[in-house]
Amino acid sequence: MKRLKDAVDRVDLNRFRFWLQLAMFALLVYGGYLAVDLGSRLPMFSCGFNEEGRAGVCYLLPLQHQLSRPWPQLFGIAGVSVLTGFGVFFLWFIVLNKGWCGYVCPLGTIQDWITALRRRLGARYSRYTQGQFRQLSRIKYLLLALMVLIPLGIGGGWFSRDMGTPFCLICPGRMILPMFTGDFSQFTIDFSSKTALVMTALGMGITGLFLAGAFVKKRFFCFFCPMSALHYLISKPALLKLKKDGDKCTRCGDCYTVCDMEIKEIADDIKTRDIMMDDCILCLKCVAACPEPGALKANFASVTFFESTEAGFIKRSQKGIGLEQPEH
Amino acid sequence: MSRIAHRFVPALLALLATGLALAQGEGGEPLAGVRGGPVSAGDYAGRRPSEGARPEASWQKRAAEGTKPEEAIRDGGGTGMRSGGVLWLADTPPMRGEASRGRRGGGMGGMSMGGEHGGPPMKRLWLRAGADPQKAPFAHQEADASVETLLVHPLGKPEGEPLPSPAEGHTGLAFAMPAQGFYRVYVTTRKLEGDTLNVSVAKTEVGNFGHGGDEEEQKRAITAPRVLENAAIEIVRERQDKEGPFSQISSGMDQSFIVLQKGLPAANARVRLVSHAGWVKEMTSDEQGRVSFQIIRDYFPPWDEFQKRFKANYLVIAEVAADESGNHNDQPYTRVRYQATLAGNYSPSPNDYRSYAWGLGVGLLAVLFSGVAVYLYRRRRLKPFQEVRFDEKA
Repeated sequence: MKRLKDAVDRVDLNRFRFWLQLAMFALLVYGGYLAVDLGSRLPMFSCGFNEEGRAGVCYLLPLQHQLSRPWPQLFGIAGVSVLTGFGVFFLWFIVLNKGWCGYVCPLGTIQDWITALRRRLGARYSRYTQGQFRQLSRIKYLLLALMVLIPLGIGGGWFSRDMGTPFCLICPGRMILPMFTGDFSQFTIDFSSKTALVMTALGMGITGLFLAGAFVKKRFFCFFCPMSALHYLISKPALLKLKKDGDKCTRCGDCYTVCDMEIKEIADDIKTRDIMMDDCILCLKCVAACPEPGALKANFASVTFFESTEAGFIKRSQKGIGLEQPEH
Repeated sequence: MSRIAHRFVPALLALLATGLALAQGEGGEPLAGVRGGPVSAGDYAGRRPSEGARPEASWQKRAAEGTKPEEAIRDGGGTGMRSGGVLWLADTPPMRGEASRGRRGGGMGGMSMGGEHGGPPMKRLWLRAGADPQKAPFAHQEADASVETLLVHPLGKPEGEPLPSPAEGHTGLAFAMPAQGFYRVYVTTRKLEGDTLNVSVAKTEVGNFGHGGDEEEQKRAITAPRVLENAAIEIVRERQDKEGPFSQISSGMDQSFIVLQKGLPAANARVRLVSHAGWVKEMTSDEQGRVSFQIIRDYFPPWDEFQKRFKANYLVIAEVAADESGNHNDQPYTRVRYQATLAGNYSPSPNDYRSYAWGLGVGLLAVLFSGVAVYLYRRRRLKPFQEVRFDEKA
């Protein structure tokens, strides 16, 4: 058992993550061709607009559909289906917590691939200042609130039905993920009404920003993702946890350096034990980069399955894979 | 990064506003023609629909105009209804007022959710007479015709159950839809005229699905049998590839139908499809009873009144004559004329209102704009090399 644990602690995390992400991407984007159907309550962007290949549907799509029902229905018997839908989503979510973002989400995987391309081309990446970081971190909560309120407003007759699923209309996943199965039909502007025109144009504009932004900034879109905000709000009972032992931390900053989401607390905060922050994608690169034994740990149902060790750190450093140094 | 965002987001919004203004200015009227493949919204610029637009050479604008005397019988004379014309089941009452204004889709025609007492949704249908999907009036039963109405419930008997006829003075049929699936209604009318028995079967298929419903149940409903074995004649619409419970036919699509008699294919049946605007196309069924039509585009409102969820009605009429003899109400006949109708809906094609050129243009501009902005921002922050010399003598 100890040998197995040592092997896991010394794992080449980046390589493991690359192959797992690739497998998950293939499953979720092409699994539909093999009749795989994981339902429509998945806690990441397996896009429902990828009608041919999807192996499941992102929960945000049915959620917005359900919330846009006329109020007498929504607050009547149909409200039960909203609750049951959320229950299924929650059951999926608690297994991996925000690991869904770091290991499974196809849109996150695409951003990691664009980052790898940028690295190969030798372009340097951008970082936010702490002030910018704090401001940007709020946007996802704003989008989450709008994503709930606008469909409710549609159900109440305040907004046009053309706004339908407002977040999906502006989500780059709607355009990019179907593209992988040869469906380019979402790369259009809808001229049928002013609302549709503005929303689809906004969607295409954001898709352009996504592609350019992901090239210069790691996990660019994840800062604005309302699914990430929803995850964090319900993350308390999740089984997968990121733990920190502040007594063992020397605040060397390696964890912050490798963090794609630039979460400074991972290095600075030595008091909080549950160190997963709202922007965290639980990629566990911080654990792999930490040289202090036991300072950072990944637990599943209170059982530690991966923790920082000196041997693991040295092995990964010697391989020279993935532990990016800051570029100044 | 946010400084960059502050600079190019207003510019992007200005670009979108320009696009909106252009769309308003240029896309005033939709294109009149149909042929020539997908048409993008940008193609509408500066064109007006021509009054004499002909969707396809072989289509005839006949249904909405006066019926020729020799076609009076063929178009439903002797169907047992006083209003005359073919009998069909519609989920909308006859249109009043301006003909070009159809009903907005997205809702469920003739459907009241929750029923009268908060129960299952109720569906209301009207029996109409005449081949004009928009203006055909209500049909009224004649005394010497026999009428039989059947409802085939998705979870009920495959041979259906009798549906109560509408009360005197009412023209609508109403039924509850407690389960998910397709409900089929058949109104069979028999009337003797001389030595000919006219048998008319008006059929419609109504789907009842909810977005939050059981997906397995929905899949079963899509693949469930849809044929009434003992129907004298009926038309079955063939499902499109990958058709789901919420799929809709749109103009430009090919749609095939099968004509069946007692569950068996009826070859050489004369089949007509009447579009919402009254264009008619006639074909003959093949050995499998199959006939295929392209649903034409005949929705040309002023662009500011265009509704992408507009539900246009189509009507399919199939006719077969047979030398059969027998007795109807103790009266002998030597010939039977069968007529089946099936009504359905279709929507405008997405190609009518979606533009790839604009979509890719906006996306590309966003990429270029943000790419250039990042490049300039980085260049501005580069500090030129400055050699520092120390004066050792100082």
